[in-house]
Parts: sequence; C-alpha cells; structure tokens
Amino acid sequence: MEAKPEMEKKEKSWDPKILAILCRWCSYAGADLTGSSRISYPPNVRILRVPCSGRVDPLFILKALRLGLDGVLVSGCHPGDCHYTAGNYNARRKFVILSRLLEYVGIDPRRVQFSWVSASEGDKFAKIVSEVARDVKALGPNHLFRGESLALDPSSPSPSRQNQ
Amino acid sequence: MKMGSQDMPEFTPEKIKEELTAVAARLFGEGKVDYFLAYEKGTVPFKTTPLIARKKEDLQRIWVDDYFVANLSVYLKEIRGRIGIVIKGCDSRSLVSLLKEEQIKREDFHIVGISCPGQFDLRKLARAAACDPEELEEILRTSSGVLVRANGREKTLPRPQAFLDKCLRCRYPKPLIFDTLLSGEYVAPVDLENPGAADPATSLKDELRGKTLPERWAFWAEQFDRCIRCYACRNVCPACFCPRCIVEENQPQWVSPLPTRGDNFVFHLMRLMHVTGTCTSCGECERICPMGIPLMKLNEKMAADLKELFDFMAGVDLDKPLPLRTYRQEDPNDFIK
Repeated sequence: MEAKPEMEKKEKSWDPKILAILCRWCSYAGADLTGSSRISYPPNVRILRVPCSGRVDPLFILKALRLGLDGVLVSGCHPGDCHYTAGNYNARRKFVILSRLLEYVGIDPRRVQFSWVSASEGDKFAKIVSEVARDVKALGPNHLFRGESLALDPSSPSPSRQNQ
Repeated sequence: MKMGSQDMPEFTPEKIKEELTAVAARLFGEGKVDYFLAYEKGTVPFKTTPLIARKKEDLQRIWVDDYFVANLSVYLKEIRGRIGIVIKGCDSRSLVSLLKEEQIKREDFHIVGISCPGQFDLRKLARAAACDPEELEEILRTSSGVLVRANGREKTLPRPQAFLDKCLRCRYPKPLIFDTLLSGEYVAPVDLENPGAADPATSLKDELRGKTLPERWAFWAEQFDRCIRCYACRNVCPACFCPRCIVEENQPQWVSPLPTRGDNFVFHLMRLMHVTGTCTSCGECERICPMGIPLMKLNEKMAADLKELFDFMAGVDLDKPLPLRTYRQEDPNDFIK
C-alpha cells in the first residue's frame, strides 16, 4: 500500500484524546459501573483518578491543554454527596472561574467540561463521555500552541514599546 | 467640560512630605518601628523609587511628588520586624488582602495613609505629547486638566487621558485602613464624561462584544508569545507570596521555564488562579512588564467575575471570607453537566 493514502486515512480518522479527571468516590466508581454494566462509550478518554474533585488543581487542566490533550473532562460527586463533605463545593468555585477565564482568552468551553456523576450513574457517565467526545471531535485537534516559538527568537517581530 | 476638580483641594507634595517625615521620625523616636517604607526621589524625572529607611537619618531621603505609583506592600513579605509603611488607597486594598491571607499581622504595622489624587500614566502622557516618555519635560495638574510640556510644546489634556486606567476606576482614593492619615482628601480622577469606564465589567463587555473565540485566542496567543518569563509580574505582585513559586518547582516540573506560548499560557493563567480573591487590580504587574503585556485585562476579568458570581471585591472587607475559601450551596452550577 502506498504511504500517502495511508496518511490521508489517518488524518480523516483522527480521534480526540481526552483526559477525564474523576473523583475516587463517585465518578470513578460510576465509570467502573459503566464497564461492569457493559455499556459502551467512546474510547477517547484517558482516566486520571483523584481523591476528590477538590483535589483538581486548575493547573492540571491548563497543563493537559498545554501537553496537547484535545479535551478535558472533570467529574466529581453531586453537590451534597462529597465524601469529604465540601470538596466538590470548593472545586465548583475554582471551576467556574477557570472556565470563564479560558473562554475569555479564547478557548472553547467545550474543550474543558465538568460533570457530576455518582457511583450509580454508569449510564450517565457513558452519555457524558459520548457528548464530550462528540464536542471535541467537532472542534478538531488542539492546535492552541501549534507553531509556538521562543519569545526571544530573533526572527519574531520586535516587541519593544508595543504597548506604550 | 465637567471635571470634578474644582472642589478638590490642591495636591501639595511639599506639605505631605513634611508631615510624612515628621510621622516617620516620631515612630523611630518612640522606637515603634524597625523600618519605614516610603518613597525617595528617582534617578530619572517623574519617577519615585521605594525607600526602605532603617534608621532615622534615612528619613532625609523621603520624597513625595506626583509619582508615588509603586505599591509598597509588596515588600512586606520580605521584611520582618515592626514596619511603618506609606500607602495610598489602592495599596491599602493589598494590605487588607495580605491580612486576610494571614501573611502579615496587623500589630506589626504602623500604616501611614495618603489620600491619593490619582497617578499619572507616563506612557499615556508621552503618547498624547507625541514623544518618548524620557522626553517629557513638565507635567502639571491644572484646574482644567493636566498640562504636558515636551520638546518645547505644550498641551493640556483632559484628566482621563493623563491618569492610569486604574485611577479612572478608583473607588478608594482614601486608604481603607490606616493608623495615621496625612492631610488632604481627594476624589479619584474618574472619567465623568464616560461613567461606564469606571466599571471594569462594563468595559470588559465592550471589549469582548462581537469577538469570536478564535479572535480572542489570536490576541492572547500573541501576548503569551511575547512573554520572556522574567517573572517581574510575579515579583512585584503583593498577592504573590508563596515562598517557593510553582514555576520554580522541578520535581515534578509543572511549567517549563522556557518562554514558549504554551508554558507562558500555563504560567499566566495559573498565576491568575493563585491570586484569585487576593489580586486587587493594583496594576503593578502590567506597569512593570518589560514586554507590555496587558495583564490588567486578565486581572479585571477576574475581578468582574468575582463580583458577578460571588459578590466579592478583593481587599475591601477584612471580615468577608476569601472567595475560594468558602462556598454556598447556590453557587453557579449550570456550567456543570
């Protein structure tokens, strides 16, 4: 087989790579239930288990985007259900601020999504992953940092006094 | 034109300087402070430099003019001991923030407040006078605005074109906390012709109106591309007080020190998240940035969001909990699936 059609095929069959950060008590157990209930969902997610959605530092999300992940899903216990009483309430404040900031700088909110999934909601987990995968696929690959160069690259335009 | 300056007392630096030196001398004399933070004359015109007075004799160097823009509260994280400090209204918000974050103890400080008449924006003035900031010869507050002389030409500017943007939005020219308040009370040089400009949320909305996400990213990608990661914004920031910054953490290394767009993006947004609720939009980061990155746009977006979502304004209320240290059951939830 020739190389070129192979590459075209590869480009067309691009599938997003999505990081799913799941809380240990609810969403991770929910994802387990999805599997044990034999519900199928898109294989685009890579799951990162955290003790609580309150453990999710906004840095994790920023770094995932920086590393080229096409999308991020953060999921924790429903409000009121947190194993540590209030981890998800605290997390929710961070998330709302971060998601608004990301939108402000021009990152589509569909790239970074949030959900509450309980341990009994295997079907909801499958549905959410499908939605996120569909959204991110529609957005295309994460090219936010494509073509980036060092700021001190002599070939880049002189920045001096630009803002003065 | 409505200027609001008619009823304002004239700002008299000489008098303030005299009063300030007397207060500081008294504090040293009574043995109440080990250090006194004030301003001294800069080495170039229209610049005032921070002064850390260690003994009474250093007080001779105290200087007050129209350009005491630096926020001295940034030094409080490095100097230990009993400290006297001069602050303006906006700097007092940084102090309140530091107290809220339990970084400093109120009893360690003697706060000398200056009611601020607004600080000139030298870049704006130079632009208006069509010269380099170094070529400005004279800047005078007048009853009708601000008079600028450069290269032998004179121009009188309306006040919004002469002051820092943050001053045009200032709600607290008078310090919120102080032990001694120097004489003179001023109103901020608010743009009376254009009251919407006084509200960061309104100006943000104007700025974003009709901008698509790719357009916004194109703008910010260009800003992040220019950052050289000198960390001046972090070092000058009173709200950045971690003894070890995460950008210098190398096991694991969360952010590469290389100034690439991606790592700059992570750095700036992460820094903003770290100062959520502590950043008072004092504008030092933007003022100090050697690459002219408009960091205040990020700070003010954050400030507008905190106001809208949690009815929180940084550094104005000692008793109100920091927004990320508390929660309400009815916090916004509609963005979560």
